[in-house]
Amino acid sequence: MSESIQPDVTVDSRGATCPGPLMDLIGKVKKLEPGTVVELLTTDSSSSHDVPEWVDKAGHETLDVVEHEDEGYWSVFIETTK
Amino acid sequence: MTGYAIVLESARLERLQAVGNIAAIAAASEVPVDIFATMGGLEAFDKERIASMDYEMGEVGQAMMQAEGMDMAMFYENIAQAKELGPLSVYACELSMDMLGKSLDDYHEVFDDVLGVSGFLTHAEDKQVIFV
Repeated sequence: MSESIQPDVTVDSRGATCPGPLMDLIGKVKKLEPGTVVELLTTDSSSSHDVPEWVDKAGHETLDVVEHEDEGYWSVFIETTK
Repeated sequence: MTGYAIVLESARLERLQAVGNIAAIAAASEVPVDIFATMGGLEAFDKERIASMDYEMGEVGQAMMQAEGMDMAMFYENIAQAKELGPLSVYACELSMDMLGKSLDDYHEVFDDVLGVSGFLTHAEDKQVIFV
């Protein structure tokens, strides 16, 4: 599924530890229109689990979480709903 | 319950980081948070302490300090960032400052105001109080 997802916005938080990636994502999401697809790049494994938790709680939608094993990072795709 | 009122007394790095992380994400998620930094917790924000990174820490704190290739934000940085994203206020304990003859200028600029205990309890009366 992820190969067909074309993000409108990419947030590159690779290198940042928890809660940096989520803080970066929240800061960006607050400025976006509903229906915007965002790809968050993170090297922090806990964020790959924790970010979808926040996304669901905040009422947005997690589209996919893709691990890039060779490169050592994750792509978390979300779509804003409000 | 309409948020969290965190009484931060500890100067231990792990506790400071945990408070910074939780307060930051809560506030950024529009959950109101007040932090009342008192005693050792206030001194953790002293500018000279921050510059020297002279913090009591255990195994996890030492691992944080020694981690290479990681961009780890410190507790005051997470709090400062969160204040721009959501309802987060930080108050310095007046008693602690008076005992040391300090003013807010001696501390990181994250503080909103100076409060006594009664003032903080007024802020905290509709929140879940957490003591760290």
